[in-house]
Amino acid sequence: MFERLYTLFMEFREYVLLSFLVILSFILLSLNDKPQVKQIRAVLTVTLGVVQEQVAFVPRYFGLKKENELLRRSNVELADEASQLREAKLENLRLRRLLAIKDRTPFGFVAARVVSKNLTLLRNSLTLDVGEADGIRPSMPVVNDAGLIGVVIAVSQHYAVVNILLNTDFRASAKVQRSRVDGIVAWDGTDIVLKNIAKTLDVKTGDVVLTSEYSSSFPTGIRIGLVSSVTEQEGSLFKHVIITPSADFVKLEEVFVMTKAPDEEKTDLEQKVNEFFTR
Amino acid sequence: MERHLRSALMVLGIVVVQTAFMPYIAIEGFLPDLLLIWVVYTSLRRGQIEATVAGFAVGLLQDLVATQLFGLAALSKTAAGFLGGYFYNENKTDQTLGSYQFLLIVGVCSLLHNVVFFTVFLQGSDVPLVLTVLQYSFATTLYTGAMSALPMFAFARKAMA
Repeated sequence: MFERLYTLFMEFREYVLLSFLVILSFILLSLNDKPQVKQIRAVLTVTLGVVQEQVAFVPRYFGLKKENELLRRSNVELADEASQLREAKLENLRLRRLLAIKDRTPFGFVAARVVSKNLTLLRNSLTLDVGEADGIRPSMPVVNDAGLIGVVIAVSQHYAVVNILLNTDFRASAKVQRSRVDGIVAWDGTDIVLKNIAKTLDVKTGDVVLTSEYSSSFPTGIRIGLVSSVTEQEGSLFKHVIITPSADFVKLEEVFVMTKAPDEEKTDLEQKVNEFFTR
Repeated sequence: MERHLRSALMVLGIVVVQTAFMPYIAIEGFLPDLLLIWVVYTSLRRGQIEATVAGFAVGLLQDLVATQLFGLAALSKTAAGFLGGYFYNENKTDQTLGSYQFLLIVGVCSLLHNVVFFTVFLQGSDVPLVLTVLQYSFATTLYTGAMSALPMFAFARKAMA
């Protein structure tokens, strides 16, 4: 009996062994949560960890390329983020300056972003991202921290078009701050000029030009620019006064629309007087 | 006795290399299995019974140092050792070890090993089991097969000398 069993075992010993070891493996698999197993594995893991630490200087040759790629991508993303943060910082500074002028004047202000610029034609204009829905109406002045930008000429529900100083249709009553000389600011297609300044009047290079109290469109005292050139032309009664605007129209990004409605009573009266004299 | 001691030392060395160095040459997370190559070598050199036991022993050792399921490597390497034993031919051992046959045998054993391993290992996960098992098994098999070219060249050189 035993002999036969032994012979059978010897004949199929490979399979018996395989079956035994497979069963043993399954038993071991079922012992995964036993603390003894965990203990042995912990000791061996620590031992191997020491070895691994010693060889940690070996570079991961195949991983380096991927890591490098990831780092480059991360670098680009961080550079982009840094750029955005710089932009935000600059925007913050600009808005702070805008807020400062808001505090200085009694008028209401609506902050607006320049969404479009047209600075190549004789009738240069800006489009702002505010409109009737924000309380914007035609003839409202537009300023920034540097000074006068222009005047709103058309409004839709959510957008407004602004005639800027660099527009042949733009006019503003102005005065020289130092000498209180009055004139009209206009753009001749090349320069911003202060018109109607008689040769006898006191205007010098470097004088500050502001909006005057005679203006029906703009509040008094908004800075327009500095006198950059004063020349006297032969055969003319007036000086040719060129102004450098305070605002940089090329870099313009944010502005305020002053919610000052034109003084209708004053405008009406002036119109009536003009009509009377032009009859 | 001396032979067994030498084998044990070799296995310990391979375990250290496998766990400490192989992760550095992982491709997409897949590692070559040096211990499996050793089991296949044992099966071709010593036969099925010794390879089955050796597979179980080195698998158990691998289970102890790895954080995976305890007993899983033992199970899969036992199967691989058993399968490798079918290719045992004591008259052609050096020829088999030093030729492309060695790569093929490693490939076949590795495939069985990996299918067993990943089938158990991926139980309970949300991945599509059959597809993932095949994907992982083929990838690991390819890498292990490629790595087995190194001992194959060494055996071929030794045979020629």
